[in-house]
Amino acid sequence: MTLPYVINLLYQFADNVAFLLLAALGLMIILGVLDVINLAHGELIMLGAYITTLSYNEMHLPLPVCVLLSVIGVALFGLVLERTVIRRFYRDKLGALVATWGISLILSQGVLILFGPSLVSVPLPQWTVGYGGYAFGGYRLMLFGVAVLVVWLAWWIFYRTRLGVWTRATMQNPEMAQALGISTSRIYMLTFAAGSALAGLTGALYAPTTTIVPLMGTTFVDVAFITVVVGGGTNPIVGALTSSAFLALISTPLSSVLGTFIGRIGLLIASLVIIRFLPRGFSGYLRDAGRRRMGRGLVS
Amino acid sequence: MHRRGGGIDAVLLETDDLTRSFGGIRAVDHLAMTIARGELRCLIGPNGAGKSTFFSLLTGLHKPDAGRVLFKGEDITYLPPFLRVRRGLSLKFQNVRIYRELTVRQHLLVAGTSNRDVEGRNGQVGWALHTLGLDRELERLARELPHSSQQWLEICLALATGPDLLLLDEPTAGMTPEETAVTAEFVVRLNSQGMTVIVVEHDMAFVRHIARQITVMHYGRVFAEGTLAEIESNQDVRRIYLGEQ
Amino acid sequence: MRVRSGDVWRMVNGPQELGTSPAFWTAAAVCAAGLLFYPLVGSTFALSSLASFLLFAPMGLGLGLLWGYNGVLSFGQAAFFGTAGYVYGLIAGNLVSLPAGTLLAAAGGIAAAIVLAGAFGYFVFYGQVSGWIIPLLTLVLSLILETFMAQTAGYQWRIGRVLFGGYNGMTNIPSLTIGPITLGGASTPFYYLAVALAMLTYLGLRLLVNSRYGHIVVAILDDPERTRMLGHHVDAIQVQVFMLAAALAGVSGVLYVSWGNYMSPSNIGLLAATLPVIWTAVGGRRSLLAVFLSVIALRWLADSLAVWGGAYAFLVLGGLLLATMLFFPTGIVVALAHAGRRWTSRARMRATRTSVESKEH
Repeated sequence: MTLPYVINLLYQFADNVAFLLLAALGLMIILGVLDVINLAHGELIMLGAYITTLSYNEMHLPLPVCVLLSVIGVALFGLVLERTVIRRFYRDKLGALVATWGISLILSQGVLILFGPSLVSVPLPQWTVGYGGYAFGGYRLMLFGVAVLVVWLAWWIFYRTRLGVWTRATMQNPEMAQALGISTSRIYMLTFAAGSALAGLTGALYAPTTTIVPLMGTTFVDVAFITVVVGGGTNPIVGALTSSAFLALISTPLSSVLGTFIGRIGLLIASLVIIRFLPRGFSGYLRDAGRRRMGRGLVS
Repeated sequence: MHRRGGGIDAVLLETDDLTRSFGGIRAVDHLAMTIARGELRCLIGPNGAGKSTFFSLLTGLHKPDAGRVLFKGEDITYLPPFLRVRRGLSLKFQNVRIYRELTVRQHLLVAGTSNRDVEGRNGQVGWALHTLGLDRELERLARELPHSSQQWLEICLALATGPDLLLLDEPTAGMTPEETAVTAEFVVRLNSQGMTVIVVEHDMAFVRHIARQITVMHYGRVFAEGTLAEIESNQDVRRIYLGEQ
Repeated sequence: MRVRSGDVWRMVNGPQELGTSPAFWTAAAVCAAGLLFYPLVGSTFALSSLASFLLFAPMGLGLGLLWGYNGVLSFGQAAFFGTAGYVYGLIAGNLVSLPAGTLLAAAGGIAAAIVLAGAFGYFVFYGQVSGWIIPLLTLVLSLILETFMAQTAGYQWRIGRVLFGGYNGMTNIPSLTIGPITLGGASTPFYYLAVALAMLTYLGLRLLVNSRYGHIVVAILDDPERTRMLGHHVDAIQVQVFMLAAALAGVSGVLYVSWGNYMSPSNIGLLAATLPVIWTAVGGRRSLLAVFLSVIALRWLADSLAVWGGAYAFLVLGGLLLATMLFFPTGIVVALAHAGRRWTSRARMRATRTSVESKEH
């Protein structure tokens, strides 16, 4: 148990947290505000990766510009999606789920038909940092930094801006919010676009680290869904943070010792156990616990 | 309070220091109540007195913050609702909660009444259906019934589980005076057959018709108990209904 | 509980399902007869194709029960399908010498699916979780199972003498044999087995949904809390329905490996998990008949489109799913049935009106 070994574990932990956070946050925000599960989330991530890869390879734009294009592109796509399809399912959560699943099929198969089975990846920037016999990827450390930044930004918007207040009001009581003059329709639209933008960002940022294939979204939603289930829809930010930290805590030692695959099985089992005892996820449980501590009962 | 004979089963239900809060409000506040077997008890009180919350604690739909519920001598405080129903405790909900797609007959099927009982007016449920006129409506979708019939169906469903203790939460809500009288008469006859009943009600005509032991709740506590005459002449009870000074 | 034959018929023909008129049953009998006599006229290839469509009926009907009648959307049918198929392959491959080896293997495969479903269901239903959690977790289950099976290449991944086969799948799985009869893919006996199981499942589920148990299942979908207050152990019942659906998926899985002698991770993964959902959504999940017809029709469609390449098949299916959710949320077959019912009742009213008017003159 040398220091470099611990640092290596911490690095892997941070890497896992970043992956879970970036993969799940967009989905959780959409769930929290619109009460809708977007099963096309993985394909939005894939679109982000494809936009970045194509603009890098075909148009030779610098990587940051490609990432920006991805974010904007997928956000716009999400906007269109929300206006045309999603808003017909506001009251019908399972219906939205199935409809977005249809969209995800159209996207993944469509990309397969248009662009073939794979693309040449964007080369990973080689910013290796060596320490104590271990090599740490600087790019992935940067991704951790981006994840932290993104969560902080989301928190800031939710709790420090008027838009955030309106959004939280819409989350808690849409009818009341409307009566107070908030355009809930616009909030939903913006939130869905923001969630999509996050998906696009995730895909763009992870594009250099993985193979670019039409079904690449599944490697993200695998764990994103578990993160969402464990986090719960009550509070997207608290849920995303606690969930990704907890799950990374489980998967890091497991995958480091027994391989990535066992890590994922461990996550599924962990999520089943959590859901059995905390059916509203961490964010739901924390909200209820907070109420109890204040000497109040639970809202029925 | 009545106690019929001796024996361990004389007391059917007992609550002990029962407490439950919602969002800062003490809905039920250290409530102690005893119901003997065969009683017909009316539970009244101003809005917000905690009557429905009390029922939800008895049925297990909510867990108390403190206190105990004892049913037939057994501590059922943390028992899940469906097990309490199987032990003989049954509730008619305050709101009508019928199944949207099922007919009356299908409702009874779900509640466990055999067709023979339904057709042949056998048993308590068969008798209830016939008395309340529901045996003529078996094939109708329950949601198409008039409101009073839906309430009566709810009572029949609660009876279908074969309870020892029947909880009726505002059975005459939305009923005309005639329908209220029918319901009151039905409850009296049900009780005379041996069913222990607690009724939460606002309608004083109904309460007068039943005219048995009354418990008045206020701010989650038992405020007064007694016969109809005692309660009606109680100045404090009048005050809480007309507003605190 | 004594059940008379009249009761059974009343339950099969009960109101919880479309198609209760004499006209319907006549048509159904004609179709059934057609299926039974088809081997006399059909080519071996056509027989094998039709059998390959019919063998998926139990899996689809299971999801129809689970989603349509109990409101639980599960992407896990493919996982249970694959589990049964792989376990069957493991047992049958090792017990080739035993005369009842394949039957034991079938029982083992289906049992494995049921156990997996029971374990999964316990956590999910006893926790009384929100509805959207089940589709997500069953999808993850399917993905993880696929990933697991895909990386089982290599000689170390075997049980007895049966290799898991990794991404290429388990091959040379022996077909079901009953006595001297081998129920292989291109054979007439297998065809009859597929037809029999499809019809048995359909009729059996019709019986179930019209029974008291079926009404409780539907009541749970409508108002679980209310149903608890009628004394029912709602959580346990939901796990049971989930396990039944898994068992039916397992039946399809065993039939599939008997037909194709082959099971691969692609039968478990993302696209495979989608198919039962598409069948039930497009046909109409609240009607067993709609699901049945939909399975056959869409399997045929996917097969035809497969000539162009799998991607086109799934593109069309995805589009079909989206279109159905937007325009025919109750399902296409169900929508047609309701439209048909309205048309016939309107026609009947018009007929009575004209006859009354003619009488008045």
